[in-house]
Amino acid sequence: MSICQDLGLNFQQRMGATASQLEKDIGSEQFPPNEHYFGLVNFGNTCYSNSVLQALYFCRPFRDKVLEYKAKNKRTKETLLTCLADLFYSIATQKKKVGSIAPKKFIARLRKEKEEFDNYMQQDAHEFLNFLINHINEIILAERNQSTLKLQKTTGSGESVTCNGTVPQNSEPTWVHEIFQGTLTSETRCLNCETVSSKDEHFFDLQVDVDQNTSITHCLKCFSDTETLCNDNKFKCDNCSSYQEAQKRMRVKKLPLILALHLKRFKYMEQYNRHIKVSHRVVFPLELRLFNTSDDAVNPDRLYDLVAVVVHCGSGPNRGHYISIVKSHGFWLLFDDDMVDKIDASAIEDFYGLTSDIQKSSETGYILFYQSRDASC
Amino acid sequence: MAVQSDSGGKDDVKTQFVTREGTYRLMTLSEYSRPNRVGYTSGSGSTHVRVSLVTLPPGAAPGSDGPTSEDRICFNHGKELYVYVYKGIKKAADLTKPVDKKMYKGTNPTCHDFNTVTMTPDSVSLVIGFSTGQIQLIDPIKKELSKLYNEERLIDKSRVTCIKWVPGSSNLFIAAHASGQLYVYNEELTCGTTAPQYQLFKHGDGYSIHTCRTKSTRNPLYRWIIGAESCINEFAFSPCGTNLAVVSQDGFLRCFHYDTMELVGRARSYFGGFLCVCWSPDGKYVVVGGEDDLVTVWSFSERRVVARGQGHRSWVSVVAFDPYIVSLGEPDTEDTREDKSESAQSYRLGSVSQDTQLCFWDLTEDVLKPAVRARASTHLSPNSNNICSNGIPSTKVLQKCPKNNKIGHKHAELGGNNAAGEPSAAKAAKSKTNNISTLNINVGKAKEEASGSLGVNFTQRLAALSFGERRSDHRRNFSLTKSTDKSSAANTVALRGKSAGAQTNDSCDPVKLIGTPSCPRFDECPVLEPLVCKKIAHERLTALLFRSEYFITACADGCVNTWSRPLRSAPGPTRRDRVDLTD
Repeated sequence: MSICQDLGLNFQQRMGATASQLEKDIGSEQFPPNEHYFGLVNFGNTCYSNSVLQALYFCRPFRDKVLEYKAKNKRTKETLLTCLADLFYSIATQKKKVGSIAPKKFIARLRKEKEEFDNYMQQDAHEFLNFLINHINEIILAERNQSTLKLQKTTGSGESVTCNGTVPQNSEPTWVHEIFQGTLTSETRCLNCETVSSKDEHFFDLQVDVDQNTSITHCLKCFSDTETLCNDNKFKCDNCSSYQEAQKRMRVKKLPLILALHLKRFKYMEQYNRHIKVSHRVVFPLELRLFNTSDDAVNPDRLYDLVAVVVHCGSGPNRGHYISIVKSHGFWLLFDDDMVDKIDASAIEDFYGLTSDIQKSSETGYILFYQSRDASC
Repeated sequence: MAVQSDSGGKDDVKTQFVTREGTYRLMTLSEYSRPNRVGYTSGSGSTHVRVSLVTLPPGAAPGSDGPTSEDRICFNHGKELYVYVYKGIKKAADLTKPVDKKMYKGTNPTCHDFNTVTMTPDSVSLVIGFSTGQIQLIDPIKKELSKLYNEERLIDKSRVTCIKWVPGSSNLFIAAHASGQLYVYNEELTCGTTAPQYQLFKHGDGYSIHTCRTKSTRNPLYRWIIGAESCINEFAFSPCGTNLAVVSQDGFLRCFHYDTMELVGRARSYFGGFLCVCWSPDGKYVVVGGEDDLVTVWSFSERRVVARGQGHRSWVSVVAFDPYIVSLGEPDTEDTREDKSESAQSYRLGSVSQDTQLCFWDLTEDVLKPAVRARASTHLSPNSNNICSNGIPSTKVLQKCPKNNKIGHKHAELGGNNAAGEPSAAKAAKSKTNNISTLNINVGKAKEEASGSLGVNFTQRLAALSFGERRSDHRRNFSLTKSTDKSSAANTVALRGKSAGAQTNDSCDPVKLIGTPSCPRFDECPVLEPLVCKKIAHERLTALLFRSEYFITACADGCVNTWSRPLRSAPGPTRRDRVDLTD
């Protein structure tokens, strides 16, 4: 993304044209009531944030909860969550149906919260998403702890809350957990004593490797392929009380309401001493079920619909641009910073990737958001 | 080209592979493509390269300069369409001398089909669909003919996704569109100068059929609206021409009796759209491939998904039965299987995918036979019984429903028995065999009835198995005033009205369909593994056709390849030695 130096001018010129164009494209009768399509102004390489925020805004369960938070928490001290809630509220209560908005307060807060984002460099959209989700969750937990402390001062806060996608066992899940959290169960079979041990861990998203000319379904299956732990990576078997060779596989035990899939498109290449973008063509269907569920999975038949995709455009992690495509009321929209366009569902195939490595630059799906169908109806 | 071995890099493109019948080889000199491929990138838009092949009737070839081939091949690539003399496994024709070559502006040809009824030694009708919705009819040999349909895009603006001549018809063809509509055209009629006004002709669960409201007959004769505006990806007539299977982006396979326009059965993908469809040579099974990376086998007589094939790493773009292996496979079954049932039959299925791989599958009796069904039904949730096996209420089917339900109950009982005395699998199997015999009889009876009511004799259908042969007595009545049709349509509507509240809405909801015969849970349905799975191209594969001497593949970069079959040992009872499935 070239930093928009002539942002102000450019933006005003564009706004008038695209705003009316989008309304025309959708049609006044078709325009969903109470829905607003607002682009987000770029403050110099903040497209990584804009694209993720738009995707999250169109994950309805998430948006609803954020707006609910806004309604419940009238005057609290400013956090990243209150900034996000204000931003979502501001979009949701616009008089106009289309336009653009400057997420100034949110970006300012973000730069205060995390040093890594306090600059004008391009950031990784997935790192941002990861940070945002975890951070919001921490805020909710902290606020909850505070209120419980106020209520009952007799018992101390008890367990310390470390939140790296995990819930302390005896703590109520937050709405962030309820929306994004799934459970992976990793089964390890010691090749010496044949004992199978399994361990559950929670996740907010699944990070999958990408192969050329495959589907996201296949990438997810590979994610759950059996892996042999050997050499330097042996498994400490409790039964044998020693390091042993073992086989391990990870399968999904609890399927989240919104399944976020991160395609690992930035690979570190030793020969170049930097990260290289992998533009492989990975198709993703509009509808998804998981094959890699565990035998004791709670809801293995869960049917997902694709609701948003964060797309990386360009040749590498530190250059390029992020945009997002989202589904809203049955049609697809493309958010490119302050610009919003209606696109045909068939245009999604432009973001699968490239079948050859000749071209340097590509526009490829980077984070996929699948929403469980039972969540929407 | 060097022959790659499997032990080497896994991603090498194979130029030969071995199955139990022998070695298939890529005929590197038999490659067809545009004449000059240098500097040509596949460009914008989807690159669904399709292949049509026709064998012209042998005629007194005027210039008899050696044995020229009667085969003509047609393929599209980007904006271009080529027709060549096709020489099979022999060296390809001179690519600079196509029989016909078309280049289009502002639109891409997407699909095409030769008419095998009207063809002569020196003429053939080729119907072509385009990305912008138009349809063209040409004669690539005589070059006199050129007609356009939907020229002003008044009928449909969306991409033509599949076009085929109605089996046995000299002048009717069907075009499916991305809009989810399917039109029946008569090539002799015009399309009119105004947008067609439609009136409802018939409707059923998830589809409706319309005719034009005009005094003079015009195109389209019929408009079928299937599903809710979701792209129809492909359709295929059963080998006997009676049934039409349609697959759509909404993830449904819908099977219609073409003449009565009744929906006779349905299946749902595990997830995502169904992209391709084909019939087994005997019309007993419909196989579909789709965005769930699976190959799904649906039994026409039982109206249920009987198996799923898992092996592709991406979406399945074409499925095709190899009709020449069905007969080949049969002698083998005697000595290789313990089970020597007389109806023993196995099918060979091929599939190609966006993963650049070709898969062969053996659909064997142990997977397809009803015994599996009995086992599978033990897992069925109890409420699945009140949905009749095809899940669709309609007049025709309703008559048969009691019978079907009975079978369903039998299975349920069976399931119960098995479940009760389950722990030892061997015991269960023993107890099952007894029941199965009665079961088979029942199913057989139901089949007879079904075939009776559809006016098609199953044995006759089997007899007419040979590929490409069309039933000559196949006639269609397109008179719109046919009163019987109308009244039966009215009946259907009325009946539907009654049942609508109970079933219609649920029956299309994929969340509710899971666990039913149209979409069994993944662990409740046999999962097949491919016999072979080979990467045979650098680009995604888009076509697969089987012929007696070879098979043809095509991929998105516009290359059409021919693969020779294993050398056949002398025909007759001589049994070939079985080759292990290694390569």
